[in-house]
Amino acid sequence: MMDSGWLVILPHISLAAGGILIFCAGAFMRRRASDIIPVLAFASAACAGVSSAWIDPGGPGFLGMLDGGGFSRFFAVIFSLITLMTLVFSHHYARDRGFAGDEFYGVLLFAALGMILVAGASHWLIFFLGLELLSLSLYVLIAARKNDPASNEAALKYFVMGSVAGGFLTFGIAVLYAVTGKMDISAGLGSTMTADNRAGLLLGLSLVMVGIGFKISLVPFHLWTPDVYQGAPAPVTAFLSTGSKVAVFAALLRFSLCSHEAVWAYMAPLFWGLAALTMIVGNVTALAQTHLKRLLAYSSIAQMGYVLMALLAVKHGGASAVVFYLAVYALMDLGAFGAVAVLSGEDRERDDLEDYRGMGYVHPWRAGLLAVCLFSLAGLPPTAGFIGKFLLFHAAIQAGYVALALVGILAAIVSVYYYLRVMGILYMRTGEYGIVPRTGILGDGAGMVILALLLLLGIVPSPLLTAISNIVASLSH
Amino acid sequence: MIPANLLSLIIFLPLLGGLVVLAFRRHPNPCRWISLGTASMDLFLILSVYLLEIRVHPAGDWLIVEDTSWIETLGIRYSLGLDGISLLLIMLTSFLGIIVILVSWTQVTSRVALFHFFLLSMQTGVLGVFLATDLFLFYLFWELQVVPMFFIIGIWGHEKRIHAAVKFVLFSITGSLLMLAALIGIVVVHGSQTGHYSFSLFDLVGTSLSSNLENWFFAAFLLAFAVKTPLFPVHTWLPDAHTEAPTAGSVILAGLLLKTGTYAILRFAFPLFPSAAGVAVPVLMVLGLSGVFYASWIALAQQDMKRLVAYSSIGHMGLIIVGVAAWNAMTLSGSVLQMINHGLTTSALFILVGMLDERVNSRQLSDYGGIWRKMPVFSGFFLLFGMSSLGLPGLNNFVGEILILLGTFKVQPAAAVIGFMGMVLVLIYVLRLIQDALFGEPRTDWNVRDITAREALILVPFALLVILIGLYPHPFLDLVDGPVRNLVLETGTAMNTGAM
Repeated sequence: MMDSGWLVILPHISLAAGGILIFCAGAFMRRRASDIIPVLAFASAACAGVSSAWIDPGGPGFLGMLDGGGFSRFFAVIFSLITLMTLVFSHHYARDRGFAGDEFYGVLLFAALGMILVAGASHWLIFFLGLELLSLSLYVLIAARKNDPASNEAALKYFVMGSVAGGFLTFGIAVLYAVTGKMDISAGLGSTMTADNRAGLLLGLSLVMVGIGFKISLVPFHLWTPDVYQGAPAPVTAFLSTGSKVAVFAALLRFSLCSHEAVWAYMAPLFWGLAALTMIVGNVTALAQTHLKRLLAYSSIAQMGYVLMALLAVKHGGASAVVFYLAVYALMDLGAFGAVAVLSGEDRERDDLEDYRGMGYVHPWRAGLLAVCLFSLAGLPPTAGFIGKFLLFHAAIQAGYVALALVGILAAIVSVYYYLRVMGILYMRTGEYGIVPRTGILGDGAGMVILALLLLLGIVPSPLLTAISNIVASLSH
Repeated sequence: MIPANLLSLIIFLPLLGGLVVLAFRRHPNPCRWISLGTASMDLFLILSVYLLEIRVHPAGDWLIVEDTSWIETLGIRYSLGLDGISLLLIMLTSFLGIIVILVSWTQVTSRVALFHFFLLSMQTGVLGVFLATDLFLFYLFWELQVVPMFFIIGIWGHEKRIHAAVKFVLFSITGSLLMLAALIGIVVVHGSQTGHYSFSLFDLVGTSLSSNLENWFFAAFLLAFAVKTPLFPVHTWLPDAHTEAPTAGSVILAGLLLKTGTYAILRFAFPLFPSAAGVAVPVLMVLGLSGVFYASWIALAQQDMKRLVAYSSIGHMGLIIVGVAAWNAMTLSGSVLQMINHGLTTSALFILVGMLDERVNSRQLSDYGGIWRKMPVFSGFFLLFGMSSLGLPGLNNFVGEILILLGTFKVQPAAAVIGFMGMVLVLIYVLRLIQDALFGEPRTDWNVRDITAREALILVPFALLVILIGLYPHPFLDLVDGPVRNLVLETGTAMNTGAM
C-alpha cells in the first residue's frame, strides 16, 4: 500500500506549527505579540483549509492510521472554516475583554487539530488522541475569561463530565480491541459477530457510545451542555457547539458506515431510542428557556437528535444527508452564537432574552444574522436548514424509519414555537437596548458570509450535495 | 419576444422589488412607489399572458411550462406550470398585490421598507404555490408564504398581535410538516416501484398505493390544506389572525392564503390520492357544511366587524370545500370561480372595515350606526360588497354559489339542500351587519370624511369586477373549463372506484 505520509498531515502540520509559533511569539516577542498572533492564527488555519481542499494525498497515511480520503478532507475544510470564523468573531471580543493572549489563539489551533484528527482517524489510537487533544484545549478555551466565575465554573463542569466520558470511551476502545484484536477502526467494527465476541463487542460499543453521546450531547448525556454553553465566552461556544460536535459526529458516521451488518443490527435500536429522546427532550426543554444561550444549547441538542435519526439510514444511502446537515448545522450555530458575540456588551454577555427586545431595528444586520440562523435551525425556507431538514427526514423515511421520522416531525413542530418566540422578541417588541457594542468590520463580515452561505445553500444545494455524495461513495468502498 | 422563463419572472419579480425596497430604509415614499411599480409590472406581465394568449411549451391544458433540473441527487426539479386555474388565481394574486400596497399607503407608517419587503415576498410565495408542479418546489413555496405573514401580523398588527402571529404559524407548520412526511412517503413508494425518483406531480399521479397508506397520505395532505383553507374544525387560528392583522394582512390572508388551501386540495390532494379522496367525500361535505353553519352562527354574535367578516370567510370557504368534494365539472368551476369571488368580496369588506377603523379607531359594531348619512359613497360600496357576500343575483358570489349548489345537487341532493339553507344564515348576519353599521341614528357625533380619491381608486376595481363576474362570468369560466374537465376525467374515475 502506498503511504503518502507527509501529504496527509499537511493540514495537521500547518495547525500544529501555527500553534507552536504563537506560543513562541507570546513568550519571546511580548511587545508586538498582540499584532502578530491573530495574523499567525488566521494564516495557519487558512493554510490548513487550503491544503486539505486542494492537495489530494491520494491515500491513507501513517500505516493507514490517518484517512487521507475525500471524507476526512471535506471535514478538515469545514473545521478550518469554523476556526477561521471563530477567530474572526473572537478578534475584537477577546481583545476588549482582555483574553486575547497567545494561549487563547494557540489553544484554539490545537483544538482545531484535534477535530481534524477525530474526523480523519481510521485507527482507534488516533481517534483517542484527537479527542483528548480537542477536549483538553476546550477546557482551556471555555475558561478563557479567567476573572469570570461563570466561565470557570463552565470549564470545571465540562472537565469533570468530560473526563468521566473519556474514561468510558477509553475502556470501550480497550474492550473492542480485546474482542476483535484490531486497532484499525473499519477492520475492528467490520468483523462478524459470533456467539463468542457478541457480548464484548456490544459492551465495547456501548461504552464508546456513552463517550460519544457525551461529546455530541445526546440525551441523557446532555446535562452539561446548557451550563457550559452559557458560561463560555460566546465565540468559544460557537466553536465548541459546532466544531467538536461535527468532528465527533463525523467519527460516529465513519463507525456506522464501517460497522458490520450484524453489529449494526444491534446498534440501530439504541440509536433509535437516543435519537427520539434527544429530539423530544431537547426541543421541549428549550421551550422553557429565558436565556438565549441556553435556548440555543437545547436547540443544538435537538439538532443532533435529527442528525442521529438520519444516521440510522446510513446503510440505505442516508450518509450524504448526514454530512450535508452537519455542514449546515456548523454554519447555523456558528452564526447564531457569533451573533450573540457581536451583539454582546463588554461587561457581560447579552444573554437574557428580554435584552434582545427590538434588536432587529437597532442592529438590523447582526440581528438579521441571528434571525436567519434561527429560521434555518427551525427548518424554514429559503434557508439551508430547510433543505437539510428535508434531506434528514427523506433519508429516515426512505430507510423505513417512519415512526422515528414522525417523532422528529412532532418535535420540529414544537421547536418552531421557541424559535418564533425569539423572532417575536427581536422584531415585535421594543425595549431598552443597553450599551451598543462595537465590533470591528471583521466580525460583521464573517456574519455576512454565514448569512449568504445559508441562503445560497438553501436555494442551490445541488453542487455541495453532489460533492458530498461522491465523498460518501468513496468512503463506503 | 417571450422569455422562456416567463413564469419565474412572474414569481420572482416581486421578491426582487422587495429586496430593492429594503435599500430605502429611511425613505418611506420611494418604498411605496417602488413596490407599487413592481406589483403593477407583475400584473401587467400576467395580464399580457392572458390577453395576448402567450404560450411557452404548451402541453395539453398547460399553457406555459418551465422545467429545469435543480437537486439532481434526489430527482427534484424546478418545474412550473400554468393552466387556466392557476392563471385565474395568479391574476387575483397580482391584483390584490397592488391593492394591499395602496391600502397601506397611509395606514402603515412605521418600518415601511420592511413592510413592503414582506408584502412583496409574500406575493412571491403565493405565486409560487399556484405555479409549482414539482412537489418539493410546491412545499418550499408553501412554507415560504408563512414567514412574511408571520411578520406582517406580528409587527404591524394590533394589541395581541404576537400571540396571533405565532398561533398562525404553529397551525400552518403542524399541517405542513405532516404533509412533508406524506410527500416523502409517496415519492419513496413511487421510487421503489418504478426505480425512478421524482417529485413531479405528473409522475406521481397514478402511483399505486395500498389503500391504508393512501388514506394516511391523503389525511396528511388534507390536514395541511384544511388548516390553510380553513376548514372546520381547524379554523381557530383564522379569527385571531384576521382580528390582529393590519388591513393589508387581512386582505392577503382572506384573498390569497386561504385560496392556496383549496387550490392545493384540487391540484394535489385529490389527483394524487383519488381513491382515498373518494372515501373522504362525505366527511369533507359534512365538514364544509358544518363550517357554513357554525361560522355563520358565530358571525351572528360578533361585535367586532373584522371578526365578523373573518367568520363569514370560514363559511364561504366551507362551501368551496363542498364544491371540491362533489368533484364534477360544474362544482369545480364553481369552486374556482368562488375562490376568486371570495378573494374579491371579502378583501373589499376587510378594506372597508379598515377604512372605518382608520377614521374612528374602533371596529365595534356598537360604536357605529348611521354611517349612511355621514359617508354616502362609502356606504354605497359597503352595501354593494355586503350584497355580493350574501349572494345577491347579478353579483359575483351568486354565480359561484349557484354553480356549486346545483352541481352538488346532482350528486348529493341532501348536501345541496342543506347548503341552500346555510346561505339563508349568511343572509341574516350580513343584513345585520349592514343594518347596524349603515343605518339607524348616528350613535356618536363624530365628524368623518367620506372616502378619498385613493380609497375610491382601491374600491372601484373591486366593484367593477364584482359586477362583471356577476353579469358576465363566461370569460372566467371558459378559462377554467378545460383543466376542470381534465381533473374530473382523470381523478373522478379513480375516486369512484375508491368509493365503491
